[in-house]
Amino acid sequence: MTEWQTDVSDGVAVIVCPARVSMAVAASFRDAIAAAVAQAPKVVVDLGPTAFIDSSGLGALVSGLKTCRQAGGDLRIAGAGEQVRTVLRLTNLDRILRPQDTVEDARRDW
Amino acid sequence: MTGEHYDIEGLAVPRDMEQLHDLLERASTEHPHIPASDVMMFETAVMELANNVVEHGRPVGQVAWRFSLEVSADSLTARLADSGEEYAGWDAAASHDMPGEMAESGRGLPLASAVLDELDYQRDGASNVWTMVRRWQA
Repeated sequence: MTEWQTDVSDGVAVIVCPARVSMAVAASFRDAIAAAVAQAPKVVVDLGPTAFIDSSGLGALVSGLKTCRQAGGDLRIAGAGEQVRTVLRLTNLDRILRPQDTVEDARRDW
Repeated sequence: MTGEHYDIEGLAVPRDMEQLHDLLERASTEHPHIPASDVMMFETAVMELANNVVEHGRPVGQVAWRFSLEVSADSLTARLADSGEEYAGWDAAASHDMPGEMAESGRGLPLASAVLDELDYQRDGASNVWTMVRRWQA
């Protein structure tokens, strides 16, 4: 069972992802985002440690984005590496989840 | 060294599928001529097909799979065969259609198609067989 580390400060929740955001952890990822939204509807997903994401992980991100927006917030992603960025681009998800270089960048002007 | 085969097998459950990451990492380490970006995209496709077997394999939890990988000078070829019931969801013509941005599922096969030069499904006797090929400039 993957532990999802979430830190809330200044009204923004930051969720740190594991090395692989794949089918094995997609359900717990959704739960982690829902738990974060309950604390702060502005959520940054830190993909810095993530070397690999699959379509299940992407589905969880889209689900999380909807959950945040329904709560009056938003979801931003930060620190995405080459595989994550390529997959976001190929699935057109970079249009709704624009990757920010760092968590600090994602928090800026929020 | 090229032309080498790797074979592993397991059950169609997420835990067993994680072995595929390790196998591709090993193949990459043992064959430094494979461009890193090609391994990365091939791994993306392999895991999507593996997920598809987990998600659609029937009877649930009882489907066995065998994965074989062949490394050549300018390509990676994988064959993923499973013992499940015939897969009814394959439509070669529609396999490239990416769902809308707010969809929460349906990206697996389009993503695999996007990063492969060849993706094919065949029902072979009692097995579903997926063949995946990615090539690069040697």
